[in-house]
Amino acid sequence: MNSASSSRPITPGETLAKVKAGLPRRRAAERRFRAYGLAAIVGGLVVLAILLLDILFKGHSAFWQTRIELDVFVDPAMVAASSDERTRLMEADYSGMIRQGLGKLFPEVTERGRKRSLGALLSGGAPYELRDRVVADPALIGQTIPIWVTASPDVDMFEKGQLGAPDTDSFRLKSDQIEWLARLKQEHRLEKRFNTQFFSAGDSREPEQSGIWGAAVGSFFTLLVTLSLSLPMGIAAAIYLEEFAPRNRWTDVIEVNINNLAAVPSIVFGLLGLAVFINFFQLPRSSPLVGGLVLTLMTLPVIIIAGRSALKAVPPSIREAALGVGASSMQTVLHHVLPLALPGMLTGGIIGMARALGESAPLLMIGMVAFIVDVPGSVMDPATVLPVQIYLWADSPERAFVERTSAAILVLLAFLILMNGLAVYLRRRFERRW
Amino acid sequence: MNSLLELKTAMRDERTEVKPAKRLGTNVSFDRDYGDTVGEVTASNARMVCRDVNVFYGPKQAIHGVNLDIGRNEVIALIGPSGCGKSTFIRCLNRMNDTIVGCRVTGSIQLDGQDIYDPQMDVVPLRAQIGMVFQKPNPFPKSIYENVAYGPRIHGLTQNKAELEEVVENSLRRAGLWDEVKDSLDQPGTSLSGGQQQRLCIARTIAVNPEVILMDEPCSALDPIATARIEQLIDELRMQFTIAIVTHSMQQAARVSQRTAYFHLGKLIEVGETAQVFTNPRHQLTEDYITGRFG
Repeated sequence: MNSASSSRPITPGETLAKVKAGLPRRRAAERRFRAYGLAAIVGGLVVLAILLLDILFKGHSAFWQTRIELDVFVDPAMVAASSDERTRLMEADYSGMIRQGLGKLFPEVTERGRKRSLGALLSGGAPYELRDRVVADPALIGQTIPIWVTASPDVDMFEKGQLGAPDTDSFRLKSDQIEWLARLKQEHRLEKRFNTQFFSAGDSREPEQSGIWGAAVGSFFTLLVTLSLSLPMGIAAAIYLEEFAPRNRWTDVIEVNINNLAAVPSIVFGLLGLAVFINFFQLPRSSPLVGGLVLTLMTLPVIIIAGRSALKAVPPSIREAALGVGASSMQTVLHHVLPLALPGMLTGGIIGMARALGESAPLLMIGMVAFIVDVPGSVMDPATVLPVQIYLWADSPERAFVERTSAAILVLLAFLILMNGLAVYLRRRFERRW
Repeated sequence: MNSLLELKTAMRDERTEVKPAKRLGTNVSFDRDYGDTVGEVTASNARMVCRDVNVFYGPKQAIHGVNLDIGRNEVIALIGPSGCGKSTFIRCLNRMNDTIVGCRVTGSIQLDGQDIYDPQMDVVPLRAQIGMVFQKPNPFPKSIYENVAYGPRIHGLTQNKAELEEVVENSLRRAGLWDEVKDSLDQPGTSLSGGQQQRLCIARTIAVNPEVILMDEPCSALDPIATARIEQLIDELRMQFTIAIVTHSMQQAARVSQRTAYFHLGKLIEVGETAQVFTNPRHQLTEDYITGRFG
């Protein structure tokens, strides 16, 4: 009651004078604060731009592959004699035909050693490219066909200017090989073409034959398992804990544990997966099924926490309105609360998926780091995933893998941006005002 | 000290004549035991009978031993300063307090002789019988049509689409909203003005055809014109429903209700015919409140 009994009456204008005296300092503090914020954002953007440009600069060349055109005579005499049509076509001497085709371009090369250097211009996979052509169209036997075959990684690197300076260890082309390449170029038989193999092949020891399709499919299967397990389980758990569970010591313990699990290093989940899914349940190693299960364990806490906060954000007045007209608890949740919380839950789910897509550490523990050439056909086949593929390529000594590593990072980033874009779209699409 | 602040807040809300604080402090004693309720708590044709109702929020008791009957087809107004427990009490009547963690109700509340706090009692049919309109308009973020159709649909009150449409139209007509929204039934309910939203909520409540309607300060967020419409609506609904209304406005209580109950600090102080309570209150606290000495 003594708030009004101030010791001294305040004269008019006194307050204003005091406020004005302090104003420059307040303004300066505000300007400083804004400058800090702006500097933080600009700094972050610059670093991000440098990172992206660096990856782009290193990786873009991997989308192009140097190819050489040969005129190959598919010699019927070199097609193996076998009763089975398919075996006959598969086992023909395509290497010989390629050698002949190359020899026709450079008839002056007769010496054995030089012939070998000439052959080294082409990728070891060149005969298989010819084989695939012929198997697809057996009518080509007996004809001379023009065919673009993949050049060797050294040639490819040389053409892309990434082979380093001559006289260094990494420069592995001889002077006559460079001459031949110049001649091929002059005859328009050497070109950089779009690298379809990079998007269609599995991993390989040979850089020019390796691709990310195997890893992409592995990632797809792994995420499929993760998504189909973690999203329904996470949403159901969030709804139960937030809307139905009694508040007691047990639910408190569960809540604390979920929050702690979200902060557990991901490799620990990998160890758990190794011990439980592989050693105890005897599930196949390196398989997307086990990878997906491990990533489910990892993303579940994130999805539950995001789901609970989305449910918490639904105003209680909506619940009261539904309960007030006599809706049961389940009807209230399913008809009114969930539709309002779903955009937030989906966003949380997709962010969790994006994290799972970029995760490699727990997958190393369950054997998804193995060198796998075949594209997986199901969740039980051995597979690897994009981030692990990046890790494997980054570890490879061949120079041509450098650009492929960056290119794979670009593909992974593209997927992540796509998924985050989807999250934003879903939120915009389903968000409702209330 | 806290209660005093609450009273002062209530005074500001009501825009009644503000007395100097000093006098308020001397006139009201807050630790007095008020004893039993003054006036007639029973009604001859009671729908709801509340006996010795206590409500606790955790260790804190919010309602102390309230006895009150709510008669058939009457409008009973619950008045009192902020924090006196009127909203808590009205929310006990359809068990909306169940949703509040740590809230405990003792005593008995009967609807037509049936104890609604019986463990066997199912709240879903109970809330279909006792509808509620809240302080803040809370339409679902769905179309106007869906807002009104929701109750009948979940309770399976209609056989087909045509019947449902009829119920929706009737409810909106009775809530006095039909003419304003009949061309925009597919618009979201949240796009209406505050007064329209509150009438939509009333339409949503009466679409279920409840027997008792509880209104928790339904006009506190509305302007005088919208308030007048809703008061008129309450008067019309009285013919069919039993209505309990919590209000901060004594004028509103005087206009719409037949009986008035005055709550103070969780106790029911006085209850009686509205005219009698307002013209000739028997309890000192009621008189102080009504004459604007506080609250």
